[in-house]
Amino acid sequence: MRRSLVLISIGLLGFIGYWSLGLELGQILPRGQGFQIARDFLSAAFTPALDYEAEFVPAGSPSFLWVIGNGFQRTVIFAGAALSLALILGLPLAVLASGLVPTSIRIPTRLFIAGMRSVHELLWAVVFLAAFGLNSAGAIIAIAIPYAGTLAKVFSEMLDEAPQRSYQALIGAGASRSQAFFGALLPTAGPDMAAYAFYRFECALRSSAVLGFFGYPTLGYYLRQSFENLHYREVWTCLYAILFAVLILETWSGKLRRRLVA
Amino acid sequence: MSQAAYFQVEQVSFSIAETKILKEISLEIGAGEQVAMIGPSGAGKTSLLRVLCGGVTPNSGTVKLDGETYLKNGAQGGPSLRSLRSKVGFVHQDHALVPNLRVVQNVVAGKFGQRGFWNSLRSLIQPVQRDQEEVFALLERVGIGEKMFHRVDSLSGGQQQRAAIARALFQHPEALLADEPVASVDPARAQAVLNLLISISRERGLTLAVSLHDPSLALDLFPRVIGLREGRVHFDLPSCQVSEKMLGELYRLEE
Repeated sequence: MRRSLVLISIGLLGFIGYWSLGLELGQILPRGQGFQIARDFLSAAFTPALDYEAEFVPAGSPSFLWVIGNGFQRTVIFAGAALSLALILGLPLAVLASGLVPTSIRIPTRLFIAGMRSVHELLWAVVFLAAFGLNSAGAIIAIAIPYAGTLAKVFSEMLDEAPQRSYQALIGAGASRSQAFFGALLPTAGPDMAAYAFYRFECALRSSAVLGFFGYPTLGYYLRQSFENLHYREVWTCLYAILFAVLILETWSGKLRRRLVA
Repeated sequence: MSQAAYFQVEQVSFSIAETKILKEISLEIGAGEQVAMIGPSGAGKTSLLRVLCGGVTPNSGTVKLDGETYLKNGAQGGPSLRSLRSKVGFVHQDHALVPNLRVVQNVVAGKFGQRGFWNSLRSLIQPVQRDQEEVFALLERVGIGEKMFHRVDSLSGGQQQRAAIARALFQHPEALLADEPVASVDPARAQAVLNLLISISRERGLTLAVSLHDPSLALDLFPRVIGLREGRVHFDLPSCQVSEKMLGELYRLEE
């Protein structure tokens, strides 16, 4: 009964959404000029730029691939710095939001981390940009705040759901709760937490790239420039660079997961 | 009994939610004694062992360990509960090891109760030479020395059980408790595991209490057998005095 009520409500919400937005499927098909742009953009995917597309390049400019390589490197560094900060903040918060602590601590912590998550990293970035100007610390903190909140929420659930048997066994053998946490519970939940942290690293790469749209020197900066100049082949070079970063990460996390699980 | 009592259980009752598991149980187990607890499923064998190791607090009654009260009338009393808990090694039925850690890391965790926080953390990451030597000697004693640096989840069930025994011994306990140590092994191996527990306890002068499903193993290997039924002591006798009739009574199905 209750389940069908929930399903009907979801269906109803969807219907109201379609109706109030006046959606027509025909609208997503490109028309006229739009068709030409879409075709140019998609066909550029097969020939990503290896050099500037602009006719005039000032003498002494670094080569295009060097610039993209630089952007790639900064994207990875921004993401890595942001995620490591998020982990440092998120791990203790995860413990304070888990069933290991009394309700009087758990509930305020959960509210706090919900607050961290409720503002998107791009909004934080805009705020920090206005407050501190274009500065790398601002970008990193902007990503780290909502990421720490998400890590804390998911990690606390993983800690609560991990099998407690070995944790209880150590307590029964005289260990303190903190000793049993590091000796049993954290290693038990560790592989899942590591896998999730890797997924968040992937998300951080995308966030860090997108922050370039605000002027930070990551791939998004060049992507936006190229897009505004209608240099679609350059755009694709940037997109492939992001894809490349994600693939490297995927390979690395796959290897680590096999080591942790098998 | 000639020996001084190591475990003294007086009028202990224990309930989980509304269900009474132990009903005013009283018994003593002497220092260095070897005891088997038998009885049908749900008789309270596991709960009694957990009360003895300080793992659960009874609703009423007193438990003394080596003369020191540590659980009393539904409250935890006496000296530090942690230091008393560390005197009793427990081999859990499901081994309760961390599957994705190495055997050595699981075994060193046995001594956490006697170590400070940073010391125990360091022993987990890189045990000192003396710890490594002791862990290896214990693993050799239980027959899995070569598995010291293997992950627990790469071990067979029987090997994991031996790792759990080694963890309990690394604790330097005064008593060893084992909950259904032969529940998941075949008869030949069951005898071998019980003999191992008995001979180790004898070597080290440990008090040994084991819960068993199979009464014949208990009668063959243990000098004293306690029969539990519905949370009460049904009989508590030297094994030579336990008759077929008593066993029949102990395991009788309710009409």
